[in-house]
Amino acid sequence: MPGTIVREEIELIIEKKDGGGGITPPAGGNGGGGDDGKKRPNRRVSPGRYYTGIAIGIVSVLMFFMALASAFLVRKGGPDWIPVHIPRLLWVNTVVLIASSGALEAARKRLGQMDVGGFQRLWFVTTILGVIFLAGQVAAWRILVKQGVYLASNPASSFFYIFTGAHAVHLLGGIGGLIYVARRNFEKAKVTRTVAAEVTSYYWHFMDGLWLFLLALMYLGK
Amino acid sequence: MVTYDEGGNASPFTGSGLLARVFSTKHKTIGLQYLWLSLASVLVGMVLSALLRVHASWPDAAIPFLSGLESSPERYTAVRLLHGSLMVFFVLTVAPQLGFGNFLLPLQIGAEEMAFPTLNCVSLWLTVASLAGMTTSFFRPIGEGIEFWLVSAAIFSLGALLSALNFCVTTIELRTKGMTLPRMPVTVWAWLVNAILSLLIFSVLLAGCTTVLSDRLLGSNFFSATAFLAQQPLNLVREGSLPVLWQRLFWYFAQAEVYVAILPCFGIITHLVATFARKPIWKERLVVLAICGVGVIGFCVWGYHMFATGMNPYAPLVFSVLASSLGVPAAFLLASWLGTLWDARIQFTTAVLFAIGFISLFIAGGLSGIFLARHDLSQAAASQDFVIGHFHLVMGVAATFAILAGLFFWFPKLFGRRMNESLGKAHFWLTFAGVYCIFMPMHWMGLLTESTMFPEAQRVVLASAGESIRALVTAATIWTVAAQVLFVANFLGSLWRWEKMEVDNPWAATTLEWSVGSPAPEENFGGRTPVVYRGAYEFAPQHLSPKLPAQKAE
Repeated sequence: MPGTIVREEIELIIEKKDGGGGITPPAGGNGGGGDDGKKRPNRRVSPGRYYTGIAIGIVSVLMFFMALASAFLVRKGGPDWIPVHIPRLLWVNTVVLIASSGALEAARKRLGQMDVGGFQRLWFVTTILGVIFLAGQVAAWRILVKQGVYLASNPASSFFYIFTGAHAVHLLGGIGGLIYVARRNFEKAKVTRTVAAEVTSYYWHFMDGLWLFLLALMYLGK
Repeated sequence: MVTYDEGGNASPFTGSGLLARVFSTKHKTIGLQYLWLSLASVLVGMVLSALLRVHASWPDAAIPFLSGLESSPERYTAVRLLHGSLMVFFVLTVAPQLGFGNFLLPLQIGAEEMAFPTLNCVSLWLTVASLAGMTTSFFRPIGEGIEFWLVSAAIFSLGALLSALNFCVTTIELRTKGMTLPRMPVTVWAWLVNAILSLLIFSVLLAGCTTVLSDRLLGSNFFSATAFLAQQPLNLVREGSLPVLWQRLFWYFAQAEVYVAILPCFGIITHLVATFARKPIWKERLVVLAICGVGVIGFCVWGYHMFATGMNPYAPLVFSVLASSLGVPAAFLLASWLGTLWDARIQFTTAVLFAIGFISLFIAGGLSGIFLARHDLSQAAASQDFVIGHFHLVMGVAATFAILAGLFFWFPKLFGRRMNESLGKAHFWLTFAGVYCIFMPMHWMGLLTESTMFPEAQRVVLASAGESIRALVTAATIWTVAAQVLFVANFLGSLWRWEKMEVDNPWAATTLEWSVGSPAPEENFGGRTPVVYRGAYEFAPQHLSPKLPAQKAE
């Protein structure tokens, strides 16, 4: 059985500027909760928390949709399962969403070139494309309703509406993020515009990929 | 262990006034708010459990609290649901992780705040809203009550997800200089692993609640039983069972929820055992690996609750092996606790008594889990009372002992006072005896009176023995609930009347939170950055160790 062990303390401390644990917190960082500007003219905090936060948030959202997808796979093929004929409009919507991701990357490229005006224009295009996608989803629902396919019609239609609806709700969050980055005065913010744009882009691209997965699931798994 | 670097972090959100305090974004205030929420929930939950036992022993007796409500089997089920919801969600999930975690995590890793303080505040109030909803569901008609409960569970899930995200990011990103992974206290490891697990399973519960609510309110067909069950082989679905699909989603969450409740308790107990044994944790890295192992395996064993519903013939084997393999990390943890305590000059404070009580309950409850993990044995043992006895010992009571151990230990850090040791020890022994008298006989009651392994004639004879055991369990429940008066008196008395602290670190503990004043100051480290030079559990040799200051009665 172990006895008392006392080691000499001192271990080399490696200081890095960004990311990871065991590092020097940035000067003036306040843990993200402060609003006492007088004491701290520089309110910027380490951007690492936002990158890590969005990555972890994405895992959580992914798990939510995986739970629904697994239920879909278990449920499909039952005697009450009537496949939903996916409206063609969804393919158009998909192209719009992919285009929005392209516009977003172009906007970030402009930001990297310090062209803030170009960034703002392309960022606006991204946001509009996102709104068009959502409007397109609503239009697709209306097409199905006209065909008499409702949420309560059968399990397949229930899954169609919940997949598209839950994705739309999450995408609305993304549009909120896009608007925040466009409208925020970053001179007073805790992060730079570049960091905010990059973090938002991760979420937006994830929404893009998630939609492709859901569409493939509904199309191939019907 | 620590020096300070001038000019690091500055103060978190400051504000005064009632609203600013209630809706504070400060991690310490939020941690305390979670703990108060848990305290209220556990007291109500315990009273409900006593009512349930009284009803089980004397079904014809009028229960004062329930006499005004409709008397029906559904009402009895609603009492059980409220008891379970309060205990599982608002005590076992909230106190060890969100209560102690929010208060202590930034202090233990040398941060000024959680990574996202506003999100933290939102999580708290989502939890409060969920508690209000679940309590309301009890008073509503049964159908409406279920919908209230589901909405509340979804809200709780959302709050838990935001908290889990905050815990992960804070631990990964905000550790101070020198706080490398091997130097992190085991409590922090446990909170981190638990946050990751919570992140994965509460998403599934959220999806499950969303779809069930959609079925109930909007008429969708995710779980519509008739057609779906019609295609299942008859022998695979018990008559009257809930749709298996919902069960899968629910148990995916609920089995792992057991580990969400117990993982931070492992951290707390390991921390306390080392501190009061004044020795490094025996095989500390193995303990961390074991905590990770419990998280990983715990995520994969949902099916072991579904043996009785009918599954693919190979599935029970897989889930049995996985569930049984949880014994490996559990054995590592036990070995480490006992190895650390071995040959140590243990300081038997109330905190360490509760910690040792936890170990005892964990062993006792864990052993009966072996019978339930094997699907063949579970056929004999899967009676209601046996299962209730098992999970209350290993999950409910053991975790509550860990929470009490943590409360006695960190009370000076939370409030700047110590709880009374004499009252604490009396409370411990009365509770310890009480819970064993409740839950061990409950195992026998399940095996003797409900198990299918005896022939019918013999079961009739055994039923009379069951009556006397049931009476013993009820008496022990009333005894145990009554003993909590000592705790409440100690808690409130310590807050308002008894000893004020003369020292900041009454336990001579070595982790960062004890390097600052008690109670923890407004700014954790006074605007300075702590620098860590060594591990969390490196104590001075025993002959140089400080003696704990004796407690003085006022």
